[in-house]
Amino acid sequence: MRAFLAESSKIKLVNTLVVLILSIHGVSKQSFEFEKLSWFESFIVEVFTPLQQGTTTVKEKIDFAFKHYFFLIETSKRNEELKTRILELENAIFQYEEVQKENERLKELLQFGEEIPRQKVLSQVVGWDSSNEFKVLRINKGKNDGIELKSPVITINGLVGYVYRLSANYADILTILDQNNRVDAIVSRTRSHGIVEGTSNYKARLKYVVKTEPVQVGDTLITAGLGNIYPKGIKLGKITKIEKESFGLTQSIEITPSVDFHRLEEVVVLMAHENEASDKVVKDE
Amino acid sequence: MNNLKLKDIVVSFMITTVLLLFLEVFSSSFLPAVGLDEYRLGFHVLIVLFIAFRIESIYLPYLVLGFELIHSIFSIEGWASGTFAGVVICFLISYLKDLIQLNSRLSTIVIVQIFQTVWFLIVAGLITIKTDEMSYFLLRLPRFVSESLFLSLISPLFFELLSRFWKTNRDGQGVGI
Repeated sequence: MRAFLAESSKIKLVNTLVVLILSIHGVSKQSFEFEKLSWFESFIVEVFTPLQQGTTTVKEKIDFAFKHYFFLIETSKRNEELKTRILELENAIFQYEEVQKENERLKELLQFGEEIPRQKVLSQVVGWDSSNEFKVLRINKGKNDGIELKSPVITINGLVGYVYRLSANYADILTILDQNNRVDAIVSRTRSHGIVEGTSNYKARLKYVVKTEPVQVGDTLITAGLGNIYPKGIKLGKITKIEKESFGLTQSIEITPSVDFHRLEEVVVLMAHENEASDKVVKDE
Repeated sequence: MNNLKLKDIVVSFMITTVLLLFLEVFSSSFLPAVGLDEYRLGFHVLIVLFIAFRIESIYLPYLVLGFELIHSIFSIEGWASGTFAGVVICFLISYLKDLIQLNSRLSTIVIVQIFQTVWFLIVAGLITIKTDEMSYFLLRLPRFVSESLFLSLISPLFFELLSRFWKTNRDGQGVGI
């Protein structure tokens, strides 16, 4: 018995070491730039993302039920029929208004960036990363819709991020709020260059701008177009705080992104340039 | 403490995996949908702590790896740093089991909080080394406190649920429920 216990302890120690080495290797190889999903991960994403979407829908339905039904239960019975009718009409109007609002948003989104010579894919946000420290969101379009890794993602208000990982029908977007996402940026007024980096608290910061650059609070930032991910000229945000330390060469600049990430519902994924896409088809052939 | 056979482990692992999947969906879509987009609940940490305390098996490191792989599908945090932290904590707990008496709800809450803090320090340390950014740690700390306190408070009930899946006994050195 003692020999068996000693044997099992050895096996456990070996297993522990194997998994530890594997995890250290995993940490060292982990990339926060982009990641390719295995077939198993794709399968789980495909199966469970509709549940994420469903959770949001159920929550909306419950809200709707509370707002439009439960509060009316105690009304007079004589008026029940009439109120039910009103309720139906209200529901219809509400749904109509929601559709109208959605249409307006989508129309604006489609019209936005007409000067950007790329195909655009409209998609809905269906979930956020389950770890708080990473600002990643999941959308309901994927490889089947023509989306590719590192495709930029925007809204009418500005840049959201880029496609970090992909499955057949869903994609994860590494937003500009994530500190692993770095965007080459230009201050629109002064043309000063810098790098925008997320700070995880719904803000970002502009780095590597030397103290002599005359940037001011309220200045707008746009993408510089360097780095082969984002097209030039997409709005990033505004400078909301500047701190000039007595030491160092650069200034500490806080940015408030122009996209309201708390209220993000639809986004546009910019596809590859048409000529790039056709080049790719030729290469594939 | 339970010494489980491989067959029992596989069945319990599958059931716990399904629970984890639903909890990850809850954490990644329901909380943001109700406006709590600053907060995420790391139920995978609670599951790993439960198996560390209650399961005696040579396959423990692989169970940790399995749960972290599931978690990584819902987070770009990935599986590696969580697996590293989980295995280190399992190792620590296996040596401290005789000292830790989890015989009441209060002691369960306190000890789960302590080990969540250890987990956070390991993962934050790895990410800080990886990204070369100390700001991550400082920004994450206040949210970690509130999230981990909530998880610690629900841990006795959560462990009770998991002990049904894993068919662990309540006496001996098991977690007090």
